Amino acid sequence: MSIDPITRQVIRNALRAAAGEMQTSLIKTAHSPLIYEVQDFGVALTDARGRLVGEGAALAGFLGCLPPTIQKGLEVFGPDGFEEGDIILANEPYDTGTHISDTVLYMPVFFEGRLVAFTAIMAHWADIGAFAPGGWCPSTTDVHQEGLIFNHLKLYDAGRLNKEMLRLILRNVRTPEAVNGDLNGLIASCNTGAMRFQELCRRYGVETLNGAIEEIFENSEARMRREVSEIPDGVYHGEAYLDHDGVERSKRHRIAATVTIRGSEIEIDFDGSDPVARGPVNHPLVGTRALCATVLKCVTMPDDATNDGHLRVATVKAPRNSIVSPEYPAPCDSYGYVAELVEYVVLKALARAIPHRIPAPSYQMYAYHLVRTGESEHEPFICAEPVDGGGGAFPFDDGPSGIMFLGNGDAPNSPIEILEASYPVRFTRYTFNPENRGVGKYRGGFGVIRELMVTEDKAYLQVSTENNANPLWGLAGGGDAGRSKTVVTFPDGAEHTFDDRVGDVGPLEAGTLISMYTANGGGWGDPGDRDPMRIADDVVNGFFTAEEAAGSYGVDLGRIEEALRQRRSEMSEVKHAR
Amino acid sequence: MRLAVDVGGTFIDFVYHDELTGEVRTEKVRSAGTLSGRLVEGIRALGADITSLPTIVHGSTMVLNSIVQEKGARVGLITTKGFRDVLELARGNRAEIYNLFYKQATPLVPRYLRMEVSERVDFRGVVVEPLDEQELIASVETLVAQGVVSIALCFLNAYANPEHELQATRLIGKLYPDIFVSISSDIVRERREFERTSTTVLNAFTRPRFSGYLDQVGRRLAEEGFSGALTVMQSTGGITSTEIASKVPVRVVQSGPAGGVIGATRLSSLINQGNMVVGDLGGTTFDVSLISEGQYSERSDVSINRRPIMQPSIDIVSIGAGGGSIVSIDEEGGLRVGPESAQAEPGPICYGFGGTQITLTDALVTLGYFDPAVYMGGRIALDTNSAEAAIKNQIASHLGLSSEEAASGIVRIATTNMAYAIRQVTIERGFDPREFAMLCIGGGCGLFAGGLLDELEFKSVIVPNMPAVFSAWGLLNADYREDVSRTLLTSLDDKTGPLLADAFGEMEERTRAALATTTAASIRIERFCEMRYTGQAHTIKVSVFADEISSETTGLAGLRTRFEEAYARQYRHILRDSPVEITAVRLAAIGETEKPQVSEVLARSASDEASLIGSRDIHFGSKAAQLQFALHDRARLRCDDVIQGPAVIEEWNSTVVVNPGQQATVDRYGNLILEKLK
Repeated sequence: MSIDPITRQVIRNALRAAAGEMQTSLIKTAHSPLIYEVQDFGVALTDARGRLVGEGAALAGFLGCLPPTIQKGLEVFGPDGFEEGDIILANEPYDTGTHISDTVLYMPVFFEGRLVAFTAIMAHWADIGAFAPGGWCPSTTDVHQEGLIFNHLKLYDAGRLNKEMLRLILRNVRTPEAVNGDLNGLIASCNTGAMRFQELCRRYGVETLNGAIEEIFENSEARMRREVSEIPDGVYHGEAYLDHDGVERSKRHRIAATVTIRGSEIEIDFDGSDPVARGPVNHPLVGTRALCATVLKCVTMPDDATNDGHLRVATVKAPRNSIVSPEYPAPCDSYGYVAELVEYVVLKALARAIPHRIPAPSYQMYAYHLVRTGESEHEPFICAEPVDGGGGAFPFDDGPSGIMFLGNGDAPNSPIEILEASYPVRFTRYTFNPENRGVGKYRGGFGVIRELMVTEDKAYLQVSTENNANPLWGLAGGGDAGRSKTVVTFPDGAEHTFDDRVGDVGPLEAGTLISMYTANGGGWGDPGDRDPMRIADDVVNGFFTAEEAAGSYGVDLGRIEEALRQRRSEMSEVKHAR
Repeated sequence: MRLAVDVGGTFIDFVYHDELTGEVRTEKVRSAGTLSGRLVEGIRALGADITSLPTIVHGSTMVLNSIVQEKGARVGLITTKGFRDVLELARGNRAEIYNLFYKQATPLVPRYLRMEVSERVDFRGVVVEPLDEQELIASVETLVAQGVVSIALCFLNAYANPEHELQATRLIGKLYPDIFVSISSDIVRERREFERTSTTVLNAFTRPRFSGYLDQVGRRLAEEGFSGALTVMQSTGGITSTEIASKVPVRVVQSGPAGGVIGATRLSSLINQGNMVVGDLGGTTFDVSLISEGQYSERSDVSINRRPIMQPSIDIVSIGAGGGSIVSIDEEGGLRVGPESAQAEPGPICYGFGGTQITLTDALVTLGYFDPAVYMGGRIALDTNSAEAAIKNQIASHLGLSSEEAASGIVRIATTNMAYAIRQVTIERGFDPREFAMLCIGGGCGLFAGGLLDELEFKSVIVPNMPAVFSAWGLLNADYREDVSRTLLTSLDDKTGPLLADAFGEMEERTRAALATTTAASIRIERFCEMRYTGQAHTIKVSVFADEISSETTGLAGLRTRFEEAYARQYRHILRDSPVEITAVRLAAIGETEKPQVSEVLARSASDEASLIGSRDIHFGSKAAQLQFALHDRARLRCDDVIQGPAVIEEWNSTVVVNPGQQATVDRYGNLILEKLK
């Protein structure tokens, strides 16, 4: 059945708007700042077969995780196993793709007694009863240490709340009010999406609606395949190494991907990646697939909302029970480091095929917790935030300076004036960190120096970071990305530099200075080809001296000085024109 | 007598209202060339005697354009030592999640013009390190030597204690009296260093140009014999003096669309319609705002091209949809309308100014919505054939449709895009569209009145008189207004009352002083607290009543109740036992002005001419079949006239479409009220 193109487009826009409304509704009704502030969630509307028709997300990777989760549910319950009013919870990482804290809640949508759609949300719960409060355990060795597992359980069965199950959940999380509040928000949001989908059924009829959806999928897939066929055929490799997995600290785990392009077909094979890690850095295959789809979409058609048509193009394979395809009971709670690397190894492989369309990698994740708990004489606090760093160079421009790592999506940093009013800290610097790394024709963006003084006693510092011993790379001859580090200067003047993850440094006394240096992004192109005018700008802006730049870029000092003279004379013309 | 001048990107609208005769005169001139000259030209064309006018109200998009086009002064920024990069670091978020090449806004002040000086104040306002005056002077010298004419100064925690910023201003003023100095604590006393720095920099950036322009307008008007007060519309919907606007131009960023909302608010009370969604459809954007219980909604900051401004503003959401929205077929075969626009130049194909890209207007022309002979009172000759041919070749043939079907599809997609946007805006703010009427203003909105009524769950859709110059009329209804805010962190306990009393007292004094020189008849003070549950990030603005801040405890219970009511509406739940805190206080001093009378329309008498003047055949609906619409002359409508759809109601610069199954009723002020027939 062919749908007229206007109706198809109206439906396409309506589905996008419906998912947008689900997202708005969730932000409005959630209780946990992880949802309404950090926006650590993804929202999806799927058809009756669990295929993505509408999305709303701050984290793109979550979207590709929702359809397989629902499809698993269709297997568990069977296509006739759902009833109107069911609400199901699922978070076993091997089904849902990330870690236990990112719990999926989904709801079947019925119209005139027939299953027509699902609405679903994956959101980071305020707490899931794990070994570490709020999740993100750094050193677990199996999934049971990471919290409560829901293997497709009906919280509501045909509209009836399973009260015992809710009591079980709320008794096993540390923040029952926030979790209960968020649950209500998640349900409200799923209801909103369901209502909009039912309206579309009423308006256009289920047949027309499904016909339109099918055509939307086909058109998106066709376009993406056209884009893929523009990529030169070939077999391309990319690989990366982790510093360590949090448990086995001497082992550098390998993540490898081979991208094969043949016409409009693309296969991504993670053969060559290391077996499952003992520590919690494993990244489930469902999530690996989702990230591959996200990367492919970013590269080929970033301007559109995602649907099943985009997700079905790449074939993703991995060896069994590897670091990118762990099986029960492998720990996965700190999956984020490998998530960054999965994206970057695929991009690295693609850069060999289409070097002018791929940016170099940004800095790896960096976040800190400054915590004081269990001290009877002092008020407890948890000051936690990700710190921005250098973005990778573009094939046509320098990378962005001071931007969040890829996996952090749209989440922002915290204002210093708010942090100072909330915690016993005083910031002394927040400025660019111009390392002489990430050089290139276009250089990586600069990381930052974020420096604070602790103004009270008994705090402990924890830092999450990766790829400092094995930094990410530059592209097309550009220099490697930089290395993040943390320097703690104690009140007596003693100084200690940490260049990897640390936990529980302390107790810190008032007056301790914590200097966080995040890495530059990788460079793009031969640094010797850098336009001396760009170097002159960096010199004028006080990032390097001309001599330093000549040394790290291998550009003749005379050319830099000539460019500097030109720049200064332009600046003086601007001045006199005013 | 009153005169309003609304300077937009393409036209300057004039509205002159004479209370004695009830006469309303309007004029439109192109806003090209020297604006102050154009302004005088328009006033002369209007034939208004301005020598005896007490005030002229001026709406302007100049500050906005200056920011959008990045055309402004050479600015230097001075910050606390260690923090000069805050402006460029911004918030670090990747707002476009699929864009691997995302960058934040380029700073308007390059790094070499950003200086640091030693000084530090903590979050309580206690001086930790004194201001190093020598460093400051050296910094200013360097900046001036670099050709800087306008300096922005933003120190950490200056919201809590502005003393160092004030000290620096005095010092710079003494040494360089001709340099513009903008300090953060003068513009906004609230925390968030990046947003406050960005605001201060934008102020410094736009100030020399805008103050120069206002000086020039003042001189030209004086030459014409005007001796009254020239006032400027602010983003808040209140007017202010040219002195203040020259000093703090970031206050007038949203000056352009504000007039429409103020007019809508006036109309809302006149016709007793407290809840309205206001849709203003122009050439490039569809601006949506909300009026709830007679009050327009406001926000405490706006962002322009990723550059935030911490200043109160009417809450207006702009969507890239308008008469000039460009139509295209995307890579997936989907038909798109907007968000790009053909602007005034080259404009739609049918205008014949050289446009080659199909616009929404071209689709409307193809469907027969306009009579080419009388379009815009004959000011623009419509080329129907070129529009139709382009739709046929560029769109219809690719989709396998007739050109009318394609054009109808374009209108349908534009209408649904507007509807989805309205729904998003209302729901996001915790409102239900079913409890609202919609007000259509701007030249193009009436064309979609019927379509939006069919698409959404509104009670009714209202099209006011003169919708095309409604914004300029709105300016005549504005009060003077001074806004001020402070970050003030406190829980709700018995110390809160005196704290609030102090803060509000000081803010009231300051704003009353600013209003003292105006022509305002009386001053009304509105007080608000930003409140939240302790630990949350989002705050809600809650009214504080005068009697609550004088006593120590009685007010606080009411404050919490009102907070929870507002919270429940926004978020659909409350946290019953959670403590509540205040994060900021805001005060608006409103200098009330006399509003223009609105004349009523008489009921039909036997001698009145019928409004029906003919019919128009329009290709309508998804099949684009021809349908006969009754054609009515809006000028001939009388109170209580009822027009059944399908009908087109026309005046020279606007067209209102009533769809089949709908009817339009004329109210006593001449507004058209569209409703669905039961």
